Amino acid sequence: MHRETVENVAFRAGYLAILTFMLLPLAVVVATSFEASGQLLFPPENYSLVHYRAFFEETRWLSAFDNSLLVGAGTTVVATTLGVTAAFGHELDDGRTGQLLAPLVLVPLLIPPIILGISMRVYFVRAGLNASFLSIILAHTLWATPLVYFVMRSVFSRFDWQLLDAARDLGAGPIQSFVYAVLPNVKHGIFVGGLLAFIVSLQEFVMALFLSSHSTETIPVVAWTALRQSLDPMVSVVSTFLILISIIAIVAATVATNLEWLSKQLS
Amino acid sequence: MSGHSSLPSPIARVWEPLRERSRSKRALLLMAPLLVFELLLFVAPFLILLRISFTSGSTDLRYAAGTWSLEGYAEVFSSGVLLDAILYSFKLGLIATAITVSIAVFYAYAIWRAEGAIKSALLFSVILPLLTTLVVKTYAFRPLLSPTGTVNDLLLSLNLISEPIQFVPGTIGVIVGQVYIVLPYAVLAIYSVLSTMDWGIVEAARDLGASRPRSVLEIVVPQAMPGIIVATVISFAWSVGAYAAPGLLASQRVPFAIEVEKRLLSNLQWEIATAYAVIMLLLMAASIGVLTVTLNRFGGEFEYA
Repeated sequence: MHRETVENVAFRAGYLAILTFMLLPLAVVVATSFEASGQLLFPPENYSLVHYRAFFEETRWLSAFDNSLLVGAGTTVVATTLGVTAAFGHELDDGRTGQLLAPLVLVPLLIPPIILGISMRVYFVRAGLNASFLSIILAHTLWATPLVYFVMRSVFSRFDWQLLDAARDLGAGPIQSFVYAVLPNVKHGIFVGGLLAFIVSLQEFVMALFLSSHSTETIPVVAWTALRQSLDPMVSVVSTFLILISIIAIVAATVATNLEWLSKQLS
Repeated sequence: MSGHSSLPSPIARVWEPLRERSRSKRALLLMAPLLVFELLLFVAPFLILLRISFTSGSTDLRYAAGTWSLEGYAEVFSSGVLLDAILYSFKLGLIATAITVSIAVFYAYAIWRAEGAIKSALLFSVILPLLTTLVVKTYAFRPLLSPTGTVNDLLLSLNLISEPIQFVPGTIGVIVGQVYIVLPYAVLAIYSVLSTMDWGIVEAARDLGASRPRSVLEIVVPQAMPGIIVATVISFAWSVGAYAAPGLLASQRVPFAIEVEKRLLSNLQWEIATAYAVIMLLLMAASIGVLTVTLNRFGGEFEYA
């Protein structure tokens, strides 16, 4: 009985320690954004909104914010379109193409982004697309599509295919039957997939670093260059916004499905 | 997908194959865009990278197009700095992976056993860092781990140490940062396997007298092996290729990713940078292969033990 109690206490202390480890860095980022002095102090000594005011006056950050949203939106559209159609096709017929597709889509995730960044920089320089928004969107799509694809495969595998057959038997065309029979049943999955694509694009920075120029740099890229020079409290402000966006995204995805399902899709 | 056989048999015999064929054609059409995308954006750039790694260097151009040479590869193998960076990368990868996977097994188990609000809090603590940018997460370790940082202040005030320890910048800081980056992925990979597992088996082991640690080691870990293998491969691949954590937290010794960036962007030695990347990819593929085979065997032995 006694050993059981000790074990329970140790177990609880263990996972609470990890919980703290997981959330502490994010708390540090948010807290330091309110520090009045230019230094990074945790916990902060004087609270102030001075860096927030400065953020809204700094054009470099604001345009990076716009760039991030643009790239994120582009990535979401392309990755969701590619991922949903391919997953749907794969469920319709698991032929040789499907067997080739799954590993091909997955492998880019295992290759260090620095190598992907290099190879795409070389490639886009040749194609005359270097430093364009398109090049960053396509690079992010390479990373976001696997997520959409695997989320949608799991969603489609739970879909009752007799519904589609029934719609076809009743005379609906391929598009009509997809819109009326399939879409209503999988729209939450598509929403979550798209949301994940957006977040992946918003946070990715290694490939963006290689592919962006001064006019197309995204928030993580600006943050990275700012931090390499010195510790910049402005980065905390921007990061706080990014964390806020992530929390909103998680809440939205949880409302659409649930936390448990979301967590399984992300692995 | 076989819910349509209610037609009278003669018609069905003609209709069904036709229908199947049009269906597989449509499936192909639906998969084609992603396939083309992967070929154009992943396979083609990679082949060009491979081609450039076999060109000779030039002083004014970034690489001498059209030439064939092994200069890049020769330079990598003769440069102590480059080989050292590879070694350092693998060391970081192995240490970070070992720490990450052990913590991840424990945490995934805790999430699996938790209920209600605690379970949600634990899951949230994994998903939120996962969806936050690397730059942000990593840089937070500087005020936390620097010699004048929070952790050192705490250790000093508790009289556990007499001199501040320099975690950051340094290898310890890089490892902590890297573990933080990959931990969420590892936890979720293991948790998704555990969540399909039957708790009754563990309960039976406990009823038969196994202690909690023993029941975890002998029942939970072998069952979770598919998830553990995925977690290990992901942690390893991403830690060996790590760029953000070393970039923000390292001191003098830098891993492969930082070296390759320098060769490409600062020194404009394209043939060396690409050859270096190719060698690294081959080494990584080989070690991931060995790792997976070993773990598979390990998992198999456990099942029969």
